[in-house]
Amino acid sequence: MSRILTVTTLAAALLVADAALPANQAHAQEIQITGPLAGQPAVRRMRLYRKGRILLEPNFAFTLQDEFTRTLFAGLHAGYYFTDWIGIGLWGAYGVVGLDTGLTDQITAQGVTTDRNRLSLPSRAGFPDQTGSLTWAAALQLEFVPLRGKLAIFQKLFVDTDFYIFLGAAFVGVEERADVHLAGVGETAGTECGGDAAAVAACLQTSQTARASRVAIAPTFGAGLTMMFNDFVGLNFNWRAIPFSWNTSGTDESGDEAGDFPDGAIDEDDRFLKLNQVFQVGIMIYLPTAPEITE
Amino acid sequence: MKHFLTALTGRRGSHVLLASLLVWLGTAVAAPVTHAQMDFSLDEGEGEGTTEGEGETFDEGGDEGGGGEDGGMDFGLDEGGEGGEGGGGDVIADLAGGSDGLSDDTDRAPRETETVEEIFAVQQIYALRLNRVEVAPSASFTLNDPYIAHPAGSLAINYWFTNVLALGVSASWFQWGQPQNRESDLNFFVRRSTRLGIPVNEWQLGAYLNFTYVPFYGKFAVFNEFIFQWDAYIVGGVGMMRTRPIPVIDPEIRQFDFQNRVAFNLGLGIRVFVSRFFGVFIEFRDYAFLEKFENLEVEVQTDRRNNPDTWLSDTTTFSNNATVQVGFTIFFPFNFEYNLPK
Repeated sequence: MSRILTVTTLAAALLVADAALPANQAHAQEIQITGPLAGQPAVRRMRLYRKGRILLEPNFAFTLQDEFTRTLFAGLHAGYYFTDWIGIGLWGAYGVVGLDTGLTDQITAQGVTTDRNRLSLPSRAGFPDQTGSLTWAAALQLEFVPLRGKLAIFQKLFVDTDFYIFLGAAFVGVEERADVHLAGVGETAGTECGGDAAAVAACLQTSQTARASRVAIAPTFGAGLTMMFNDFVGLNFNWRAIPFSWNTSGTDESGDEAGDFPDGAIDEDDRFLKLNQVFQVGIMIYLPTAPEITE
Repeated sequence: MKHFLTALTGRRGSHVLLASLLVWLGTAVAAPVTHAQMDFSLDEGEGEGTTEGEGETFDEGGDEGGGGEDGGMDFGLDEGGEGGEGGGGDVIADLAGGSDGLSDDTDRAPRETETVEEIFAVQQIYALRLNRVEVAPSASFTLNDPYIAHPAGSLAINYWFTNVLALGVSASWFQWGQPQNRESDLNFFVRRSTRLGIPVNEWQLGAYLNFTYVPFYGKFAVFNEFIFQWDAYIVGGVGMMRTRPIPVIDPEIRQFDFQNRVAFNLGLGIRVFVSRFFGVFIEFRDYAFLEKFENLEVEVQTDRRNNPDTWLSDTTTFSNNATVQVGFTIFFPFNFEYNLPK
């Protein structure tokens, strides 16, 4: 222990000494400070790509960390920027394709239906039909651009770039398995499946493909990086999170009020909070095409 | 020596001479880089400190006596903007330029040789990596495994044999407490709702030999005020992972030992330099290896059920561990020398 303390102390002393004592070598940053550029702005003749301009960005996006279904979006992002560092944006996307994950494929191939889980999995072959999906999404957001710079690629190609974050409100079209419950469980939501065993089985099979749509309202936030090809066209990457509760599997996950599982119903109690994530790639077009340039 | 001659002709030349000597002595013990920079200011900016250069471009200033009465160094409107005011903070330039009114009374000899000021398209790289050793501890978490978390503590050591290419080793430790505690609720829900057991594996250690390449570097301005340097790098290598299945299908019987798997990794990271030897980084890294999971089938006969040869799946699975790693990096030695002054 004492050796660790000694080594730690020595390392800390070295760091402090290096920072505190005058360096033998002058640092480039110090030379700039005391040189002819002292007192000058950090950046001159900077192109203000955002200030006073409208952004139109057709984009492609896909969801991340999906448990059962992955959604591919085609969308459009529009924005107006009051300054080069703040603006408002509107993002909209439509889910063009839903892809089953490997877990969904495994359940479809190897899931087992018993009397105890017949509500959650009426048939394994129909499992992909009961999983939840995102059909569309829209967001109104405030966009903040704290970092602006340039990037050298392979020391040959130089591009202007900025890093931004955004925060806003999102509206998401969600499609889930429709509410259903077994007769005699004390639940009332959705369709009731009762009668003899065959009737219940048939009802549950039907419920497996029954869908219900709703709009989830949720906060959205994220961050992105842009690279400009010229004065008005650029490439944008961003990551977005939209946390809200939904039933991704279409299964009965909650117990009744006494805590006993299952409660025999698939309803809003079976929704769980998910950090839904979207990664987006887009082509940015700024209008007007000529940016303002600082002194 | 030109500034000494200029100073001697003024009314308060002795004071200026003394100040110049003191400053010169101070700079004489500084690094060669500083010295070169100061020479740059004195010889090029001070000698023809007329007012003609004010507000002109740098090249024009060099030809016509750039500098101006305040700074003696003026990159002109395009670069320096405020003309003579741009020299604020440059002590030697201020002294030589006669900011105390000296310049008005000073007759300066015309320059005999044309001075060519150089503006370098590419400035010195803020933090050179060449011939330095980088030590980078980090913490990581897995992005793409919904069934079990694989948090890790990692340490990487790299030697930069060019400014953009390094060879190094890295190791990650994954085994923290009971692996069952890191399983997600999804495992439980899927088992309960679909009667499908999901085989999951526990990881203990990963060790790699890596190459790191820096194709991108740049700088960011924060609100057009503060500039910091950053680079983006590609890292990749080969090594091994020690993994074992967590018994979930037949936990009463099956117990597994860690096995070595040949593994590869590839990643992309961003490093921000806080100083010339210290930085922080975040990287996305994918570790790929062939994995053996627990056999989903349990033998009925007791002797075969107890046979370890039946515990593992017959097939191998290609596993990708997509991680995000966040850490800091320290370069040794702390200081370095530039080959060229600018």
